[in-house]
Amino acid sequence: MAIYLYLDNRSFVHRLHPTVKVAALFVMFWSVYWVDNPIALVPIGLLMLWLARITGSWRNFYRYRWYFAILVATTTLMWMFFYRQGAPLIDTRFIHISRASLTYGFGRGIKLAELLGASVLFLSTTRVEEFTVGLSKLGVSYRVGFAISLAFRLVPLFMDSAFTIVDAQKLRGYDFESGGFAERMRKYVKVVIPVFMGALRRANNMAMALEARGFGLRNNPTTLIEYPVTARDIAAAAALFALAAGYFMIYYTGYGAISPR
Amino acid sequence: MNTGLQTASAVEDAALSAADLTYTYHDATTPALRGVSFAQARGEMVGIMGASGAGKSTLAKCLNRLIPEFEGGQFHGIVRIGRRSLEHLRACEAAAEVGMVFQDFEAQLFSTSVQLEVAFAMEQVGMERAEMVRRLGPALEAVGLAGFEHRDPTSLSGGEKQRLAIASVLALRPSIIVLDEPTTDLDPEGKAEVFALIGRLREQGLSLIVIEHESEELLRADRIIILRGGEVAADGPPARVMTDFELLERCDIRPPSLNRVLHLMGIGGHADSVDKAYDAIVRAYPSLRDTQARGDEVASAAASDKTGASEHPMVEIAGLSFSYPGGARALDNIDLTIGPGDFLAIVGQNGSGKTTLAKQIVGLLRPDEGRVMLEGRDRAILRPAETAREVAYVFQNPDHQISAATVWDEVTFGPRNFGMQEDEIERRCTEVLEAVGLTDVRDSDPFLLSKGERQRVAVASVLALRPRLLILDEPTTGLDHREQRRMMALVRQLNRDGIAIVMITHAPWLVAEYARRVVLMRKGRKLFDGGVAEFFAQHDLLSRSSFRVPEVTQLGRRFGTMALTAEDLVARLKERL
Repeated sequence: MAIYLYLDNRSFVHRLHPTVKVAALFVMFWSVYWVDNPIALVPIGLLMLWLARITGSWRNFYRYRWYFAILVATTTLMWMFFYRQGAPLIDTRFIHISRASLTYGFGRGIKLAELLGASVLFLSTTRVEEFTVGLSKLGVSYRVGFAISLAFRLVPLFMDSAFTIVDAQKLRGYDFESGGFAERMRKYVKVVIPVFMGALRRANNMAMALEARGFGLRNNPTTLIEYPVTARDIAAAAALFALAAGYFMIYYTGYGAISPR
Repeated sequence: MNTGLQTASAVEDAALSAADLTYTYHDATTPALRGVSFAQARGEMVGIMGASGAGKSTLAKCLNRLIPEFEGGQFHGIVRIGRRSLEHLRACEAAAEVGMVFQDFEAQLFSTSVQLEVAFAMEQVGMERAEMVRRLGPALEAVGLAGFEHRDPTSLSGGEKQRLAIASVLALRPSIIVLDEPTTDLDPEGKAEVFALIGRLREQGLSLIVIEHESEELLRADRIIILRGGEVAADGPPARVMTDFELLERCDIRPPSLNRVLHLMGIGGHADSVDKAYDAIVRAYPSLRDTQARGDEVASAAASDKTGASEHPMVEIAGLSFSYPGGARALDNIDLTIGPGDFLAIVGQNGSGKTTLAKQIVGLLRPDEGRVMLEGRDRAILRPAETAREVAYVFQNPDHQISAATVWDEVTFGPRNFGMQEDEIERRCTEVLEAVGLTDVRDSDPFLLSKGERQRVAVASVLALRPRLLILDEPTTGLDHREQRRMMALVRQLNRDGIAIVMITHAPWLVAEYARRVVLMRKGRKLFDGGVAEFFAQHDLLSRSSFRVPEVTQLGRRFGTMALTAEDLVARLKERL
């Protein structure tokens, strides 16, 4: 199974300038951030699904389908405990289910799912090298940009390592499944320590290997691949600006809230 | 012995010269390197050998300024490329002069395509795009990866990844390339690929420094430097250094097996190939030349080597097939039995299904088809923890198992999970620590121990549960000769004590010297299951599977006999004299 999300396709999103792609990620986060109403979140959700289809990223969305479902379901459920407004449909000491609590919880769940969706879309269409270039063009120093983009590559490796460590502990009779939530979390310390130690070793090895490849010699390294700005990039940037502005207006006019002002 | 006193002209003509390199790590009290000096002629291939902690990697890092620039600590001495001192360069500046390839190929690849990986170092030094494009093709051509430009490096095999790392270094056209144990984590095919590449680079006149544990791999080097305790213990041609058995023993280096045969035959001398060893022997003992025809010895040795199936197997696998989600078939219709007291080696290329098979036995994976029976019970209905006291699994990387603050806590972790009484835990774990030779470090932090010691901690932590079957995944990878011998002596003793052993390995000599039975895997299928002598007699099968037959066995074949160790071969040859 591939551990990275990038898909080497040739869609127009893949061919956008890295700066536009990084800006697109930011705009999607921005747009989702301003609104709570699930209905207001539908257009951007549909936009993501369309983009997933035309970029060929659908298979990554499918791969993470359970994460999307769990995010929406658990968030909706959780807000039944904390959101106590609206005429109750069911009201006990702990659970308050109302149309408002369901809408709010569901909206929050969709919001989180769309943040995840934007990330999956971005990582499916953007190489880590482009991420570095994009950040660099936006004023982030090359070293910082490289470190951020490298972190995206390392997360799947650390996840893989964590699964192996869980297996190793299970084979010595360690029971991760019994006990309450806090108890189970505490048991995962046995996983965190080796993952952390492994991460330190790997980070040290990588840092050495980077130095040995000349990393840090210049603040603005040259790039093998040319990234010219094209009319397509300008059009995409304009569309992104319109999307960001539109969502800000939805927020500003109150249509993004659960109940319009 | 420090033979680093070269003449001034030799040093000036050298591709690289190191003078009086002394270094102490920032958290250490004793130096890791002490006054190391040597000069390397242009186009020379220098092999550096030594036990773990002898200073090999430290020396490599001194050569490209990672020491002291990256590591800190106290450094003294001068490294020169030609006449130019690297003294005032940062490590990233020295990269263009001294290229470095590390053991951990995963940690030195940063890009999402092969061509971007090769370009990475060129980008860092600010090379013009046109020049990068000009250098890209020849660098990939040199390592045999032309046509791979757009491949994702993560999709390459281990050997290909290491060749890619070499290509990215070659693209900078450094004066020297230092390869720090470049094949330790590779399977035999990957090793062969990398050493074939090293041979080609040498023919092109590149100056190479190769650090290795395995003596066989460096037999064709121009020169070998042996480090011991941070000092140069020997420096000379392989013919001299690799025939000094006392020196090799003192420095914990496994003597080349062909040289050992010549030594035991009373001939002495150096042989860097099976042909040369054969010629030397028949020259000294012409009567042995006539004994080649006795090829029936191979067949009879193989025939007598059949391992019958146990009447009461511990593990019975029937028709086992398994695929990872979205992946190809990892195991295809496997039948296998493992009896009490077996010593089984599972061999095959990376991706052949060895580890997947082991994970099926311990219950970390469930079969898609077929079944795994453990002591007559279907494995599918048992959780891994339920059988941890019967079957234990030691992972390839001991750091995946270690999580406690002290060795004692680590070893007692398993028994505590099973709620054993304290006095029982005390008794068992004390015994186990004694068995693995770690009693003295019971209160130490396991993460601060050497890899060999961490490997033994991992073994001890599962032995404390007193399993009847122990599965070891690459138990000697990354260990030096002494640590390998110590680990395998422990494993052999456990087997003699009645524990069945399953050892996943790439090392032919381990199979030859320790295992009694071999299973060869390829693309998820079991190609061979039988005795060790019978296995090494399968010439065509082994060639097809890229499994390297130990040199001693190859030499034995030339004399029409089957031998697994140098002692074994010499005994057989002497019988004929």
